[in-house]
Amino acid sequence: MAKRMAVRNLRLCTKDCLCLYVCPTGATDTENSIIDTEKCLGCGVCADACPSGAISMVPLEYPPQQKKAEAVVARANVLARSKALQEQTARQLARQAREDGLYRLLTAVTKSVRLVNEDLLREAGYMLPQGAPAHALLQSLVEAPPAGFPVEAARELLARIPCNEPEGKEP
Amino acid sequence: MERWICGICGYVYDEGKEGTPFAALPDSWVCPLCSAPKSAFSPAGAPAQPDAPAAPAKPVEDLKELSAGELSVVCSNLARGCEKQYKDREAALFRELADFFAAGTAPVSDPDPEGLMDRIRRDLEEEYPALSGAAVAASDRGTQRICVWGEKVTRMLDSLLTRYRTEGEDFLQNTQVWVCTVCGFVYVGDAPPEICPVCKVPAWKFEKIEGRV
Ligand code: SF4
Ligand code: SF4
Ligand SMILES: [Fe+2]
Repeated sequence: MAKRMAVRNLRLCTKDCLCLYVCPTGATDTENSIIDTEKCLGCGVCADACPSGAISMVPLEYPPQQKKAEAVVARANVLARSKALQEQTARQLARQAREDGLYRLLTAVTKSVRLVNEDLLREAGYMLPQGAPAHALLQSLVEAPPAGFPVEAARELLARIPCNEPEGKEP
Repeated sequence: MERWICGICGYVYDEGKEGTPFAALPDSWVCPLCSAPKSAFSPAGAPAQPDAPAAPAKPVEDLKELSAGELSVVCSNLARGCEKQYKDREAALFRELADFFAAGTAPVSDPDPEGLMDRIRRDLEEEYPALSGAAVAASDRGTQRICVWGEKVTRMLDSLLTRYRTEGEDFLQNTQVWVCTVCGFVYVGDAPPEICPVCKVPAWKFEKIEGRV
């Protein structure tokens, strides 16, 4: 099986059509402009030919993510908790805000803090959906779900995304 | 001839090019890129901040159990990871989990802007130096990167909230608030910056924050 697959970014594609000429299987020539995954061999000829850099060769497998030092993860978790509290505070303050400017500013703060926190937790071990920390987390949620937790969604994720490193390592 | 650098967005004020010495600029002058005050600038070459002060030996709480708020962030981050890999179904599932935890996040009792600003400042004064110290010690450049980005974004939040406190609604009347959807940088102005001063993505990656409908 091919280890990668061509994906066209429609925002970048300028319809120069070189990929139509070079693809050995016709996978690039489709009515909806999405490259046909059934036909794609992963040869990469289209990506090399595209003058707009619009085609990515997306890997089907990923290497294990970088190991993180415990001291770093511990510190990151402290900061993540602080950010989560800020996000929640800003969200509630935005809801209460009467003035339009204040409402917009606090909404921006809510989103901003979420993005910074996503980046933080990504570096603290949750970079890859295929990583062991993400898997251990889903597994523990399936085994001991909080009330109302969508167990089926977590199960489906575990089934669809195989873990790419030995499991059992806590985040 | 000196070059002065904005500590928030990195804008460079080059005295040679501008013709006016930095010191001669009026106090009301602000960074043309991010509107930070004059005081946020420092001369190029001067160690902006002593890099990575020895991490304060403050004991780290053991936070093995992630709170609902953090779990929501972990899941929305993994949803983005799936999007990058063109896994749409998986992204939607992680978003479902993120929404579940967002709905279950305990409300903060008596939220107030001062408390929010205190927390933001504590991150800047204690938590970022501690994390970046640990990252330097572990030669973890990925974590150093998020410290650099996160600290700038957080400084900007501090500066905007401070301005709102002094100027009130006038500050934001007839202008827009923008958020970089990649790094979270917040910008106030009629149009978003051409590139994000923190993470360098183009203007179209900025989201305009709409008022209440
Ligand atoms: S070669 Fe590139 S720009 Fe041209 S049609 Fe194909 S994807 Fe689009
Ligand atoms: S990778 Fe090869 S087979 Fe797949 S679309 Fe591109 S040219 Fe066609
Ligand atoms: Fe950015």
